[in-house]
Amino acid sequence: MGDKSSDLVQGTLDMLVLKTLALEPMHGYGITVRIEQMSRGVFHVNPGSLFLAIQRLERDGLIKGEWKASENNRRAKYYALTEKGRKRLNNETREWGRQAAAIARILEAS
Amino acid sequence: MSLLRNLASGLRSLFRKEQVDRDLGEELRAYQEMAAEEKMKDGMSRKEALRAVRLERGSLEVSKEIVRSGGWESIVHTLWQDLRFGLRMLRKSPGFTAVALLTLAIGIGANTAIFSVVYGVLIEPLPFRDASGLVLLNETTPRVGKVSVSYPNFLDWRSQSKTFSQVAAVCEAGFNLAGVSQPESIGGEAVSANFLSILGMRPFLGRDFEASEDKAGAAPVVLLSYALWQSHLGADPSAIGRTIMLDGTGYTIIGVLPPNFRWTGQADVLEPIGTWLGRNPDAMKRSDRGDMPVLGRLAPASRFAQARSEMEGIAARLSKEYPASNDQFGVALTPLRDTFVGDTRMAILSLFGAVLCVLLIACANVANLLLVRGAGRTREIALRLAFGATRKRIIRQMLTESLVLAVLGGVMGVALAFAGTQAITQLVPQGLFLGATVKLNPAVLAFAGILIVLAAFVFGLAPATRSTKPDMQRHLKEGSAGTGTSTAESRLRATFIVAELALSLILLAGAGLMTKSLHLLLSVSPGFQVDRVLTMEMDLRTAPYNKDDAIRNFWQNVLDRVRTLPGAQSAALGTEIPLTDSHSRVDITIEGMPLPKPGSFPHPDTHAVSDGYASTLGVPLLRGRTFTETDNENGSRVAMVNAMLAREYFPNGDAVGKRFIFGHPDPAKQPQWLTIVGVLGDTRMYGLAQPARLEVYVPFRQAPNSHMNLLVKSAVDPAAMTSAIRTQIASIDKDEPIFAITTMSQLVSDSVTTRRFTLILLGLFSGLALILAAIGIYGVISYSVAQRTRDIGIRMALGASRTDVLRDVIGLGARLTGVGLLLGLIGALAATRVLSSLLFGVRSTDALTFTAASLVLLVVSLFASYMPARRAMRVDPIVALRYE
Repeated sequence: MGDKSSDLVQGTLDMLVLKTLALEPMHGYGITVRIEQMSRGVFHVNPGSLFLAIQRLERDGLIKGEWKASENNRRAKYYALTEKGRKRLNNETREWGRQAAAIARILEAS
Repeated sequence: MSLLRNLASGLRSLFRKEQVDRDLGEELRAYQEMAAEEKMKDGMSRKEALRAVRLERGSLEVSKEIVRSGGWESIVHTLWQDLRFGLRMLRKSPGFTAVALLTLAIGIGANTAIFSVVYGVLIEPLPFRDASGLVLLNETTPRVGKVSVSYPNFLDWRSQSKTFSQVAAVCEAGFNLAGVSQPESIGGEAVSANFLSILGMRPFLGRDFEASEDKAGAAPVVLLSYALWQSHLGADPSAIGRTIMLDGTGYTIIGVLPPNFRWTGQADVLEPIGTWLGRNPDAMKRSDRGDMPVLGRLAPASRFAQARSEMEGIAARLSKEYPASNDQFGVALTPLRDTFVGDTRMAILSLFGAVLCVLLIACANVANLLLVRGAGRTREIALRLAFGATRKRIIRQMLTESLVLAVLGGVMGVALAFAGTQAITQLVPQGLFLGATVKLNPAVLAFAGILIVLAAFVFGLAPATRSTKPDMQRHLKEGSAGTGTSTAESRLRATFIVAELALSLILLAGAGLMTKSLHLLLSVSPGFQVDRVLTMEMDLRTAPYNKDDAIRNFWQNVLDRVRTLPGAQSAALGTEIPLTDSHSRVDITIEGMPLPKPGSFPHPDTHAVSDGYASTLGVPLLRGRTFTETDNENGSRVAMVNAMLAREYFPNGDAVGKRFIFGHPDPAKQPQWLTIVGVLGDTRMYGLAQPARLEVYVPFRQAPNSHMNLLVKSAVDPAAMTSAIRTQIASIDKDEPIFAITTMSQLVSDSVTTRRFTLILLGLFSGLALILAAIGIYGVISYSVAQRTRDIGIRMALGASRTDVLRDVIGLGARLTGVGLLLGLIGALAATRVLSSLLFGVRSTDALTFTAASLVLLVVSLFASYMPARRAMRVDPIVALRYE
């Protein structure tokens, strides 16, 4: 784990994975690259934690995986958001916004 | 839904492990390839790129492990792995496994067996509805303590009490059952009609009593116990409505009690008390207190303490209102549960404490064995830690091994307990547990299960945390196998041994105190001779014997015939024999004595006896004469008294020739004086540990009684005479049952049953504790010798003598023993106090017993240290040094 990159707050990785998959179905490596790019290198995602999150989301029925050929003609498992996953993402985004705003207000008040 | 999916996916990983693993591997490989390709774009070689990815993102195996450990199935999976590994480890060291399993089996088995008694007698709910609201009421008097309730008092209680929603009189009543193969005497209860409904029970078959049947003169009806219905009526449902002959009267069977019905006495039949009173009109007197406690159910709103104060008030009013019969009589309330526990509670709890000690000792021993093994496994553990296993993970695995050990030992233990409960039920005479069932039921098995898990933690936790401690591992890396044990570890092992020794001493002291008590108790002179005296009971309840003459003739006939039997040295009759709890007491008024308050008259036990009673039972005649055949219905009324009565009321030693009457003086009646003709020695009527009471004897021909004991002193084994006596009695009347056939020595032996039972088990447990502790100390010393072989070799090479070495090694054992003894003595002083109620003639702090127990432990533990010490003495310095 790099020095500058931060560990993700517990549970947020699931939300970020959902967010990434909301744009288009993606394989594991693609998800990693996308999260790291979008966070401009603040977050660093290990395959261990990533696939653990994926296993969890899949078991909860929020995403669905399917083996496909990748752009380089390699077999890879692509994950797509289910209807349930989309709803969960919307809820969590809203909840996150509310909480983040609240925390910001508290921190600024001092 | 998602729970189901989760479950399905988890199960898939468990059962299609390879498939799932392959998928994950492929996915991770693809991931790495993609990451590497990215790097190769920047000009790295493929090899360099893959290496960089591994560094940055972690290895494939580590990632796999993380993902695998995420699901719930991983817990099951590692548990399974640990179990298999644990079993493999146990198989690899059969010696260790055998000792550990046996130790645990004994510890858990003994606990399970004793818990089956604890549960059956103390915990198992009574089979009655809402049994906590059930209370048993007795009257009390300062002269005797708890006594029965007289029926008129019961009626007043019933009408005046508000705290009880219902009350019922429950009167012990024996019956002669005829019309079956052999006449026999059965136990029964005459009860108020609401008895069963107070208990919340319904007959198994048929119906309950009706209020109209609970009256003198009503047609006799009866409820049978389930057992009697099975044994005497072949469990025939059509028995309801049939007639059964009890005491020569036909009773209609109206129902059968449920199989789980229990009462404190033997209750083969129930009859409404109304009809019973019709036949026993004396019981309607307020002064007559037979064998009748009262059962009450607390009203929903009232509490036990309220009920007690209300009843005390009622009793106080009655005692003012009827001083002649109720002066100084109070009332005692006992929760019904307690009366079913009887006097065995302390004995059972002491034994339970003792077996818990045995289990703790067993656990300490196994923990020590595990520590030894843990020291041998430090390399394995260090290796696993080095490969990235967490300490938690290894502790979990070692605890799983402990659990495997505990479960296997526990299963063996439960098998032992199965045999143990059988042995206990045979060892204990019927009736001691008042119908409680002692067996391995689900509650007992659940207890064994809890014990197994707890034991696994107790003996497994310390060794597991110990052998994974970082400092242990440093020792290992330094690689000096000879000094692999840290001081912290030896201290831990020493602690276990000290605890074992201390616990053993507590048990030894307890067993010692019980042995001494029993010995003292059995050497108490009961006041009679117990050798070769046979006793049997008869109760003539049928119509031919409702006249005094008939009774006199029958008994005289029995005496005459039995006395002619070969082998019979003497024979006699008596109404109440010692140690049977059977008794009859009555107030007397001695001629010329100042009249006390009605509740303070002398209240002796009374016996109606035949001539030859004192000599047959071996009660010494101190003064005057015993009864002769001429002390009959035509002679003047005479009596004998015991030494205590003579001493208290005739302090000048002039009892013989003085007169008394039964009851209180009544100016309206001519006094029926009895003249004292002799003084007999005191007998221990109520148990060897109980003090003697006042006693009065009258000739049975002057006080004919349908209920008598026949006593026969024989020249040979008394039991051999039984059938000859039966034949003689049957030739007089073949329909009268003979029961309670036993010998006086058996009665003495039975009277100390609870103590003997406690002693046998306590002795057994302390023996086990001693053996385990000896094994424990032997193991520790042996191990320490093995560890220090090199040291010893060096010392001997430098000139230490063999005796020095011996002294050194034994010294370690002696130090441990010393600390153990000290702590054990403190513990024993505190713990043996619970035995107080079971002790006799010895205080719970008896110095002699404690010294003896300490000596036994000292000798055993020094011997156990001596054996390894001898081995140390024979260490060859050359071999010891070269070995390293």
